[in-house]
Formats: sequence, C-alpha cells, structure tokens
Amino acid sequence: MAGTPLHDRKVSVGSYIALAFAIVFFSGFMKSAEWYGVFDFTTLNGSFGKVVYAVKDTAEGIQASTYTMRGKGGSGARDGFIFAFTLIPTVMFALAMIEVLEHYGALNAARKLLSPLLKPLMGIPGDTGLALIASLQSTDAGASMTRGLIDEGKLKEKEADVFTMFQFSAGATIVNFFSSGAILFTLTNTDGSAAVPASIGLCLIVMFVLKIFGANMMRLYLTMAEKKQANTGVHGEAA
Amino acid sequence: MSEVTKKPMITDVFVAGARKGWNIAVTSTVPNVLMAFVVIKALKITGLLDMMGTVFAPVMAVVGLPGEAAAVLMGAWMSMGGAVGVAVSLFDSGHLTGEHLAILAPAIYLMGSQIQYAGRILGVVGTKAKLIPIMIGFSVLNAFIAMFLMNILV
Repeated sequence: MAGTPLHDRKVSVGSYIALAFAIVFFSGFMKSAEWYGVFDFTTLNGSFGKVVYAVKDTAEGIQASTYTMRGKGGSGARDGFIFAFTLIPTVMFALAMIEVLEHYGALNAARKLLSPLLKPLMGIPGDTGLALIASLQSTDAGASMTRGLIDEGKLKEKEADVFTMFQFSAGATIVNFFSSGAILFTLTNTDGSAAVPASIGLCLIVMFVLKIFGANMMRLYLTMAEKKQANTGVHGEAA
Repeated sequence: MSEVTKKPMITDVFVAGARKGWNIAVTSTVPNVLMAFVVIKALKITGLLDMMGTVFAPVMAVVGLPGEAAAVLMGAWMSMGGAVGVAVSLFDSGHLTGEHLAILAPAIYLMGSQIQYAGRILGVVGTKAKLIPIMIGFSVLNAFIAMFLMNILV
C-alpha cells in the first residue's frame, strides 16, 4: 500500500473539525434516509440497482423477482470476480473521503491529541505520534519511521518493541479496513436490510483499543523477561 | 502537478483519493477476493469445509461463531482482503450470518496479513527474531478478545 507522506503540519481549528467530521461520518450515527444522512458514509455509498431474474404470471398480473446484479447461485473464481467488482466503488469512495479528510488535517489533529497520551497509554515517548498516525495508513511508512526513531536514539529497545507490537496487530488499520472490511457493511439480507449489525466506527474503536492492549501485553512481557533475566543473573553470581 | 503555493480544488483531492482506491481495489481487493472464492469452492467440493465446521465448532462457539468461521481466521492470517472474501462467500452460502460477520470484522485485521507484515514491519524495524512468535501470539490473542467483545456488543 502506497504511503501518504505525513508532514509535521500545523494543527488548525479546521483540522479538529475535519477529525470530528471523520468520526461522525464513519461512526454510522447519522445513518438515515433523512437529509442528515448526507453525513454518513454508508448512506452516501448507496446501493446497486436490482435486476430482474424471473417473471411470474400471477392472478394480479405479471410479477418480477429481482436480485442484485451479481446474480444468484454463482461460485468459484467467476463469482468471486463479479463480487469483487461490486466492491470497487466502496473502496474508491472510502479512500477518496479519507484523502479529503486528510487534506483538511484530520489525522494531524488526531496526532496532536494522541501524543501526550502515548506515555501513559503505552509507555512510549510522544515523539512517536507522527509515526503512529503514519502506521495507521501504511505499514511501510510506520515501520521505516520507527526505524528512523531508533537510529536517532529517540526510542529505546523496549519502547521500540512495544511500539512495533502496536503496529503489527491490525497493520495499516485505516487503509486496510476501508479497502476490504468496510464492504461487509454494504451486504444486505434478502429483504434488503443491512446484514451486519455493527458500524465501521465500532469496529475501528475495537481494533484501536486492542492494538493498545496488545502493545501493553508486550510491555508486560518484556518487563517480566527483564526481571527474570536480572534474577537468573543474581543466582548465577551466587552459585 | 500543480504548484505548491496553489491550493488544490477539493474535487481534485477527492478524485486523487478515488484513484488511489481504484488502484488498491484492482491490485489488491479483486485478486484477493477471487483467490478466496476459489479456495472456498475447493474446500466445499472436497468436503473439507464441513470437516472444519465440525472440528472447530467447540472453539469458535466460545465467541458465538460456527466452526466454519475458522476458515475466515486462517485466511486472515495470510491476507486480510482474502479473509473478507472468504467471509462473504460463507455469508452467501448461509454458513455465516450478518452477526457472525460483525464478530469477525475486527478480528480479521487484528491477526491479519501477519506473514507479509513479519517482513514489512518487523524486518524493517529490526525486531529480534525471538520476539516474532510472541508478537504473532499477542495478535491472535487480540483477535480472540475482539470476537469476544463483538459477540457481547452486537
């Protein structure tokens, strides 16, 4: 996945507005057929038209049965291709919206809000904020920036391992989720209602919280390994 | 490309993003989903899918999923996009419901594409080899906690 170059830009009021908009837009709060549905990703993503697949002559006249353009009963590579084809607009729309929100500095605002929290949350320095935000968009950008921080001496070995764990679980979370997972929310039941009873926002929150949890498990593991090493060291001397 | 001083039109930014989306969709989503559908077809014909369903049923039941959901998680480990393809294919065939997909969605990513990322993240950062299995272990743990949480939340 090509990385968006992140610059250490100034964070303006507009950036915070963009971040707030991003949260509302992908949270599903505004999902509606009313006018405020304009602030919701799934609503604006819309739906495909239906096609007729069978016509029946009934007492009330001719009735047509419709289904999505993907059709019924397909399987294998061909069905996979047609299905994948129906995903393309969702991926394009999601990435386009992220590009626009990023243009207004949404992720930069997130970096500014997150940086002071990194020490209490994961025990890593606030300097890593930029690399952290980059890693949500591109694993390659995140990994190379982390390498840079280590080389500059801004990250100690343990901090680097904890931060790497954060990046490794659900790597490039935003781009990866919007380029495939988001399409799960476009699936419908046979009656046309949305099939998945969760929102994109909920999934992103769960992933983000667990990324931090995983990093802390790593932190705990490393601390315990350090202690064990220190203990065996002492015993070794005593023996 | 326009000059640095000139602010791009918002429509241009949108279109640039949509183009990025197109490239990702065509070079990553479509091939991955196609592969997943072929794998599922193969698993169905050979009866392995039913076998997986029985074998993994007790483990997956803990997080409110049928045994077949294990196929999604195994796919995720190799490719996130492929796993979504597997999930959708199983949704179509009635093995998984919308609720199941909601439970699986965050987990697919938390333990997703780890073979690839071992090189692309851990290799680049220079993580010690002995920590790699531990990081994979914590990622799988993350995925199971995510399924547990989603099972409660949806």
